[in-house]
Amino acid sequence: MRLPAAGWIAIAGLALAAVPFLKPPAFYESFLYLVFYWIVLATSWNILSGYSGYFSFGHGAFFGAGLYTTATLAGTLDVPFLWTLPAAAAVAALLGLSIGAVVFRVGRLRGELFALLTLAVTFVVANVVLNTRIDGGQGVNLGGVPLPKIMSSPSSTFYVLALVLAVATVWIAHAIYHAKLGTGLFAIHDDEDVAEVMGVPTFRYKLAALGVSCALAGIAGGIHAMFISYVTVGETFSILVPLTVVLMSVLGGTRHWLGPAIGAAVITGLLYAFTASDYPVAGRAAVGLILIAVILFMPAGILGRFVSRPRRVAGVTPVPADSASPPVQQGGQREQLLEVRGLCKSFKGLQALDSVDVEVLRGEILGLVGPNGSGKSTLINLVSGHYRSDSGRVVFEGRDLTRLEAHRIARSGIARTYQIPRPFSHLSVLQNVVLPAMFGRERLGRAAAEREALTWLEFTGLAGKAEDLPAGLNLHQRKFLELARALASRPKLLLLDEVLSGLTPSEIDGAIRTIRAIRDQGATIVFVEHVMRAVMELTDRIVVLNNGRVIAEGSPSEVMRRPEVVTAYLGRAHA
Amino acid sequence: MKNLQRRAFVLAGALLALSAAMQSAAAPSGPPVRIGSTLSLTGPLAGTAVIHKITGEIYVELLNKKNGLLGRPVEWVLRDDQSKPDLARTMYEQLITVDKVDLIIGPYATPNIVSAMGVAQRYGKVLVHHTMGIPSLAKYDMQFPAWSVGPTPEATVPNTVLDALAATPRAPKTIAIVTSKFPSVYLMSKGAQEVAKKRGLQEVLFLEWEFGNRDYGPIANRVKDAKADFVWVGAIGLEGNELLDAMKKIDYTPPLHFYMYPSPGPLAKLPQANGALAASIFEQHPPYTNNPLAAEFVKIYNERAAKAGLADNSVETQAAASFSAWQVLEAGVNATKSLDDKAIAQWLKTHQVDTIQGRLRFDRTNNYGDDLMRVKQVQNGRWVTVWPKEWAAPGAKLITP
Amino acid sequence: MPSLTLLGQSLLSGIFIGALYGLLGLGLSLSWGMLRQINLAHFALAFLGAYLTFQLSSVAGWDPIATLALVVPCFFAFGALMHWLLARFSITPFNSLLVTFGLTVILESVIQGIWTADPRRLDSAYGAIRYKIGALYVPFPELLTLVLAATLCIVAWAGLRYTEFGRAMRAVAEDASIAAAFGVNERALSLLLSGLAAAFAGVAGLCLALSFTLAPSQIYSWIGVVFAAVMIGGLGNPIGPLVAGIVIGVSEALTMALTAPTWAPLVSFSLLIAVLLARAKKI
Repeated sequence: MRLPAAGWIAIAGLALAAVPFLKPPAFYESFLYLVFYWIVLATSWNILSGYSGYFSFGHGAFFGAGLYTTATLAGTLDVPFLWTLPAAAAVAALLGLSIGAVVFRVGRLRGELFALLTLAVTFVVANVVLNTRIDGGQGVNLGGVPLPKIMSSPSSTFYVLALVLAVATVWIAHAIYHAKLGTGLFAIHDDEDVAEVMGVPTFRYKLAALGVSCALAGIAGGIHAMFISYVTVGETFSILVPLTVVLMSVLGGTRHWLGPAIGAAVITGLLYAFTASDYPVAGRAAVGLILIAVILFMPAGILGRFVSRPRRVAGVTPVPADSASPPVQQGGQREQLLEVRGLCKSFKGLQALDSVDVEVLRGEILGLVGPNGSGKSTLINLVSGHYRSDSGRVVFEGRDLTRLEAHRIARSGIARTYQIPRPFSHLSVLQNVVLPAMFGRERLGRAAAEREALTWLEFTGLAGKAEDLPAGLNLHQRKFLELARALASRPKLLLLDEVLSGLTPSEIDGAIRTIRAIRDQGATIVFVEHVMRAVMELTDRIVVLNNGRVIAEGSPSEVMRRPEVVTAYLGRAHA
Repeated sequence: MKNLQRRAFVLAGALLALSAAMQSAAAPSGPPVRIGSTLSLTGPLAGTAVIHKITGEIYVELLNKKNGLLGRPVEWVLRDDQSKPDLARTMYEQLITVDKVDLIIGPYATPNIVSAMGVAQRYGKVLVHHTMGIPSLAKYDMQFPAWSVGPTPEATVPNTVLDALAATPRAPKTIAIVTSKFPSVYLMSKGAQEVAKKRGLQEVLFLEWEFGNRDYGPIANRVKDAKADFVWVGAIGLEGNELLDAMKKIDYTPPLHFYMYPSPGPLAKLPQANGALAASIFEQHPPYTNNPLAAEFVKIYNERAAKAGLADNSVETQAAASFSAWQVLEAGVNATKSLDDKAIAQWLKTHQVDTIQGRLRFDRTNNYGDDLMRVKQVQNGRWVTVWPKEWAAPGAKLITP
Repeated sequence: MPSLTLLGQSLLSGIFIGALYGLLGLGLSLSWGMLRQINLAHFALAFLGAYLTFQLSSVAGWDPIATLALVVPCFFAFGALMHWLLARFSITPFNSLLVTFGLTVILESVIQGIWTADPRRLDSAYGAIRYKIGALYVPFPELLTLVLAATLCIVAWAGLRYTEFGRAMRAVAEDASIAAAFGVNERALSLLLSGLAAAFAGVAGLCLALSFTLAPSQIYSWIGVVFAAVMIGGLGNPIGPLVAGIVIGVSEALTMALTAPTWAPLVSFSLLIAVLLARAKKI
């Protein structure tokens, strides 16, 4: 019986829910409580850190925030226990979101710096809890808090609470994994800047993942406070909590929604297996040995080999290329599509662009040429939003895009390729093209996006490689993948950054044909190139940059003969 | 009054030993009585838990050499809770509902004991435990502490210590209190603050540090600058050692100093710790060892601890409390001639038990009884009891500078 | 108003402990930054070194500093072996965290198995030596720690910068395959560096043994603060963890001198967060 994964989660949940009714000894319920509890912590951590790559070392802070919320509300203020759980979620989420709001806005705070920040936050939160009346140093006693009689015994009650939370958490992880949010997060993991330029609202998505992650950890903390009934700062904010959570996720596989749950079950079971008192120390060493062995032989985690992209929608037929296009606006008056006025950008003292004015007309192929270092790529980066300009304006279809975030620029209908291809290395070729279709101008649903993606893969000759990873493509194919990605978002303006460099002459011919076909379907193209033959053949007009300034503009044949242009390329004119 | 108590204690011990010797002829037989508990055999609490493990093993052996419990051999089912309260809780449930032990006995360290207590309460099991530091958390009516601190140790311990000091020519007038924020220690230090105020001592310094602190230099400096007559150090485990080290480095030794829950062996060995005071319920010297059972226990424990490679082989508070806990449980079982938890609890609440630390009773708040805390001091690298005088080591007294 | 002596002594205290953070962080930073291996076991290794120093000194009567003669070469070999193992299985950085956590647990268990969980304190003659500068005390073990930390960090930094080996190592760290194309023996260099990092852990162990009471569970209380020093000092930068460590140590020490010591971690880690945010904005 082929069920969607969500169905299996539900079945597992129901099966486990039946356990208390079989009246097993309370120990099994408590042991499974511990397994569920770690499943929640590990899976919630993974939603941010595994999916997006923002490795957090601070899960203990959010767990602890939720735990102490329940401890304070129920233990000190006599709020009924169940009501404290939404509060715990809210407090933990609020803590996470306020951190994220600041940190995610700051560029380059990734990798180990984000880990450090979250670790530091844990110490700060622990210290504040210890030194204020929240804990104050003597711990908080929840022994007197009545546990609601959801089931006949306390251990059953905790079991059910934790089970519900675990099922919900795993289901949420699964849902995110298959949703736009998940695709966006995985793209952020591979290359955040490119994802943003392709239309993924990276700030919002990271914040969403963080918020969900923290809320779930907070609820787990709240329930756990009741379970142990006496909480102390040292236990709660110990470094072993975030460390264990990371280990469980890595062991199970961070790129899969079920990975952390598997890792949690395995490690909890492993730690428990060695609790007989005969050789406790040797048992502990054995746990370490087993962990090492598992990761050495299963480097991608236990579920690593099952890292899957979202399922292909069965029976997708690509839409033939030319019917996917609006009619071509031929000849006659070409209206202005993009206007760049007075654009300036400097990098640490080097003036890359100096007061550049460029105009792009609808339906034309505009060549952007100039010697190396003249600012061509910088101009592309600024228009597409990869960088912010120092001054000047970018106006697109009458709208001022200058200060917009890159993903909004992408949504307006501007797409670009990268000179050195930057595909999302862990997504399949197909998924690489699906993403811009989902996040680009038309924001298609997944099924429609897959159809669209296949169309463009056929168009660029990559349909046969749809399920491969980008690493399996050669340079020519990767360049065309860039092209397919740019096209999939149905842009009005396409910025091509040296798509032809590194290609053989016959490949160049094919590319020229392709580019022409793209323009014939209604796109406007800005074409940065060094291969003069292509520039001459394809472009309607060209703009020449040198040292960050526009030095010439006009028809290709005419401009390329101008002495200042020749000088710029070759130095002093040869006699 | 105290003298009478002491003699009664020695007599009771002798009688016990005599009866035990008389019964040694009959070996226990039949299905074993299974007593279950957890200890933190790995993790941060392992250092102290191993003391409880050795003590328990010795006790069970001694039991089985005589008549066991109710004529049956005793089996101790022990599990490692890895210093985690959530594991402790789960394992006590395992012991009760899966292993189906007849009786349980407590784990080590307050958070684990609280967890176990919750389980005991749900299953109506009597819980005798060793060294729980926060009596107010013990709200189960069938729990019995074998550590005779009384229900309000945060008042009684400082009072005892200050009584001891007041009886010397160097009774302190100023006090500095520096403490870790580890819950059980912090409770005591805050209590000391109150008591000092009530007794008219001037508090010249009150400092708290986070448990897990590594740098004691600045704290040592501030203690030195405070120039107090008496320094109360709320330290647990290694903290006392680290603070003493830091003070030595700046050429300072407090004139009088007291450590709440030190690691006793390492502290005694520090040269700069000479004169340090601590609380105690038992030390391995007369008059405690005049009790033959205590003497026997001390001898065996010294051997076992040495064999286990422990740095410190002597019996002191932890081992004594542990031994006492087993004594309490045995007394309850023997008196009621049953393994019925309710009956045992009922008997314990209304009777007294003779243990190697003294006569215990459980008739005050939360089943706590008398405060039998004494004061010990490091003298020439060894701990000797110095207060009250009846319990002092032969010829020993509180030495002041 | 706290006395100048108090401030001065606390400042010294913070510098000394910060130096130890830096020394502990040196090996960790090098293997993380240059070899892409997050070696959590570094701490357990340092403690193993401390225990070995303790054993050789207390039981076999060696001079503690002389124990380095045995510890350093053994640890060097161990570090090289560990790297060989990780490289052979092509372990990614985060997987190396998992593997080295397993190793930490094993080492901790070995330590507890041999020396029990009872606290151990090395009682050496060095512990009693201290110098006086004006009213300030400079104890010998702490001074030794500072000297060793500063020396090793600066030597490592200079080595990476100015020697052939250092340049080759940096090339490997940037792009191993290209470096290999230029004739750099990446395997040998990596083993060498890993061995050195472990040897540094052994040296840190000596300093731990001289100044602290040892217990197996203490391994974990250093992880947080040293990781912080390493991450903010910059991966692969030998001087970074030393500077960062000293900043952390001094900020905590001064907090403890001036207000309630219990606020010390709040100050140091808030400072860390502020520095992180300020630095990142500039880019």
